[in-house]
Amino acid sequence: MGNTWTAVPREWIASFGEIVKFGITVTGEVLGGRVFKFFGEALRQSGILILGSALVIWGLAFILGLTCGLEGAYFNRSVGSPAYAGVFSAWCDLREVIPYAWGYMLSAKVGTGIVAEIGAARITDEVDALEVMGISSMTFLCATRLFAAILVFPFMYTAAIGAGFFASYLAVVQQIGEVSSGGFFLIFWMFQNPPDLLFSIIKAMSMAFAIVIVGLYYGYTASGGPVGVGTATAKSMVLNTVLVHLIGMLGTQVFWGQDPRAPIGG
Amino acid sequence: MSDANDPQDMEGQSEMTSEGVRGAYDPNEADIPTNIIDQTRPGEDPYQWHTGLRRPHGSTDAVEFIDVKKSFGRNTILNGLNLGIPDNQISMILGPSGTGKSVCIKHMVGLLYPDEGDVLVHGESVPNMADEDLFEMRKKFGVLFQDGALFGSMNLWDNVAFPLRQHTDKGEEEISDIVGGRLKEVGLAGATDKMPNELSGGMRKRAGFARALVLDPSIVLFDEPDSGLDPVRTALLCELIKEIHDENGGAYVVITHDIMSARRVADFISVLWKGRIVEQGPASELFDSPNQFVRQFLSGEAAGPLGME
Repeated sequence: MGNTWTAVPREWIASFGEIVKFGITVTGEVLGGRVFKFFGEALRQSGILILGSALVIWGLAFILGLTCGLEGAYFNRSVGSPAYAGVFSAWCDLREVIPYAWGYMLSAKVGTGIVAEIGAARITDEVDALEVMGISSMTFLCATRLFAAILVFPFMYTAAIGAGFFASYLAVVQQIGEVSSGGFFLIFWMFQNPPDLLFSIIKAMSMAFAIVIVGLYYGYTASGGPVGVGTATAKSMVLNTVLVHLIGMLGTQVFWGQDPRAPIGG
Repeated sequence: MSDANDPQDMEGQSEMTSEGVRGAYDPNEADIPTNIIDQTRPGEDPYQWHTGLRRPHGSTDAVEFIDVKKSFGRNTILNGLNLGIPDNQISMILGPSGTGKSVCIKHMVGLLYPDEGDVLVHGESVPNMADEDLFEMRKKFGVLFQDGALFGSMNLWDNVAFPLRQHTDKGEEEISDIVGGRLKEVGLAGATDKMPNELSGGMRKRAGFARALVLDPSIVLFDEPDSGLDPVRTALLCELIKEIHDENGGAYVVITHDIMSARRVADFISVLWKGRIVEQGPASELFDSPNQFVRQFLSGEAAGPLGME
C-alpha cells in the first residue's frame, strides 16, 4: 500500500530510461555508419518527409508569421511605436512561435506517422521478417528514419523560418502599411543576429530529435495488435507534446534567459 | 505469429541490441500468453503421454532442441523440449493451440532465446552466436509467416527481390530471372505490380513463400500456412510446398494443427503438447502410433486424453 503512489512515477521513469537507452542505440547506428548499408532506404524516407510534411509545415509557419506580423503591428501602434513592429516579428517568429509550431506539427504528423508505420510493421511480422532475412530491423526501420530526419529537418526548418519572416513582412509592410520596407527591416534585423538563428535551429532540432526517437521507440516496441498500435500512437503524442514544451522552455532559458540579445536600455 | 489473442503470440517480447531484436525486450508484457489453460486433471501427471519416443528418420538433424525451457513471466511455454528436425524432409510440428509451436520457430531463428537448454542449427548453438554470426546464420532460413509478412511499402516484385538486393551482388537482370521464376512457381507471375494490400490472403502467403525461397535457403519454416485459407486453397498450398521441396530439397518445417495438411505433406511429424514432444517420427509410423494422445490428436477425435478443459 505504501508504495502504491510511487508506482506510476516509477513506471514513467523506467519508461523514460528505456526510451533514452533506445535513443542511444539508434543514434549509435547512425553515427557508427551502419545506416549507410541502407542509404537508399534513408533517401526514400527523406523523400517521404519532404513530400509529406514540408508544404504543411511551411504553410503553417507562413500563417503564424502573418499572425505575428499583424499582432506586432497593432500592438506597437497601440503603444505609439508602430515603427517597432519588426521587433515583435523577429522574436515571435524566430524564438517561440515557429519552434513550437514546428514541434506540434512534427509530433502530430511525423511522430505519430512513425509509430503507426513501424508499429504496423511490428504487428504484421514485418519486423520479424526482416530479422530472419538477416537484416537488422533496428537499422533498417529506425536508423534510416532518424538519418532521414537529420538530413532533411535543418533545411526544412530554416525554410519554415523564412516563410514566417516573409509572412510577417507581408502583414506589417504590405497589409498594415504603417512602416516602410526599409524601416521594418532596420528594426527587424536590429533585434536578431546570426547566433539567434543558430539557437533557434538548435531548439527546433532538439525537439525534432526527441520526437523522432519517441516515435521510433513506441513504434518499434508496439504490441497487442491494432489496438496496441493505436495506444502507442496516443502515448507518443502525449509524451512528445510534453517534451516539446520542456525543450522549448529550456531552449529559451538557456539561449535567451540570461541575455535577451536585444538593443534595449542602452 | 501476430494474432494478439493467440497465446503463442510472442511479438513485442524481443530484446533490443545494437543489431536489432533478440530475447525479451518489451517491458510491456501485454502479449505474454496468460490464457493458457492447464488441461491436467487434478492428480494427473501432465506428461503421462509424453513418451519422448524419437523414431529414427534416416537423416541428420538440421535443427535440434536440447532440453529447452522457455517461460514468459509465470507461464512456462517450453518445458524441457527435445526435438530434432531432419534434413531434406518435410517435418511438421503438430499440437493443440497454445503449446508453443510458434515459440519453437522463433527459437530456431534466434528471435527468442531459451532460458535453459540449447538450440542447434546444423550443429551450431544459436543462443551462443555473436550478432554478426546470427545474422549470417539467418540467411540459411526462409520463413513464411502466417500472413506472409510482406513489406507494405513495396510491391510484390520488390518484396520478393528484397533479400537478393540486400544480400547478393547480383545484377538486376539476374535478380529479375530469379524473382520471375519464383513468382511463376507460386502462380503470381501476373501480379508483380500489386501492393500487398491488393492481394488476397492466399496470394500473400504464396508471395511470402516466393520471398522465403529466393536465397535458396537450406531450412524453410512455415508458420501455420493453412490459417485463414479454405480447404481447397490449403490443399493447393500443400501441393505447392511438396512440389517445391521435391525440386529444391532442404529441411522444411511446417507448424500447423491441421491434420489433413499433415497427411498431405509430412514426411516426419512431431507432436508437441505442454512444451514437450509427446512423440516424433516418420509420418507413416506416427499415424499408427499406439500412444492414445497421439492417436486422438492425429485422428481429430473428441474422445481421448485431450479434453476441452
